[in-house]
Amino acid sequence: MENIGERNTHGTAPLTCLIVDDSAFARFHLKRLMDSFENVLASEAANGNEAISEYRRLKPDFVLMDIVMPGLEGVETVRRICESDPAARVIMISSLSHNEKVEEAFAAGAKYFIPKPVTTDELKKAIDQVLRTGRDAGAEAVR
Amino acid sequence: MRLDFVRIFIDTTRQLFQQVIGPAVSVKSVTVKPSPVAGRDVLTIIGLTGESQGRVIFDMDLFTAIQLAGCMLGEPSPGMTPLVRSSIAELASMAIGQAISKINDNGTALRMSPPIVITGANLVSYDQCFETLVAPISTAYGEVRMNITIQDLN
Repeated sequence: MENIGERNTHGTAPLTCLIVDDSAFARFHLKRLMDSFENVLASEAANGNEAISEYRRLKPDFVLMDIVMPGLEGVETVRRICESDPAARVIMISSLSHNEKVEEAFAAGAKYFIPKPVTTDELKKAIDQVLRTGRDAGAEAVR
Repeated sequence: MRLDFVRIFIDTTRQLFQQVIGPAVSVKSVTVKPSPVAGRDVLTIIGLTGESQGRVIFDMDLFTAIQLAGCMLGEPSPGMTPLVRSSIAELASMAIGQAISKINDNGTALRMSPPIVITGANLVSYDQCFETLVAPISTAYGEVRMNITIQDLN
């Protein structure tokens, strides 16, 4: 198992993560990737509204967020989460990765953008980056 | 028909399939049909809206769907489970999402709907007849047909 994040390296409390995607496959895949990291607890939400309530309840260390979802889509969900918690660390994961969409996501408060399909290495790099730099992170996209 | 967009859809789908399910992916000859030929067991439909509009339908046999999903999930599946349906939907969504991103970056605003998966025997879409480009994609798990209809709004 690989370590991610400074807290894990120091062997303290587990990192918590909220996976938001309407696709059961995407949640399954991301959960499996998260399980490959040491000491990470992942929760799931299947839509934007559920994500907002789960974020308020769990206050996770970071969020993995899809964009294309029925109802409240990902960018608007990020905007609402970040309005209530400007320190939220959100990593967007979407097959929609054109410049305008990436910029929208960053403007909404996302800290990192990974195009689907996501690999373990890309995910680890993104999580390390948002945990290291936190709320002062410069937005970064993998293209 | 926006043939330039059709080419992006086909090329991006082939590349995405190669990335996700392995290198043995090829596209056979593309043909023009007066309407979609999606008549197999499993259909995945994605709507396209924006400056152009249309839809992409992926159709495949049940066996192919289950095998493809098994490859994506990393474990065999006993049948058409909800997770298999979701895997097939996600495969189509990733392919069309990447294609749409390229089209948007080239200057045409295009959006996609979330994918809808329909299963059953002898499924055929009779609702509307639009000229459709049909691209059979050969994979190690069977053939997936792409039915692409896309036109400018004007």
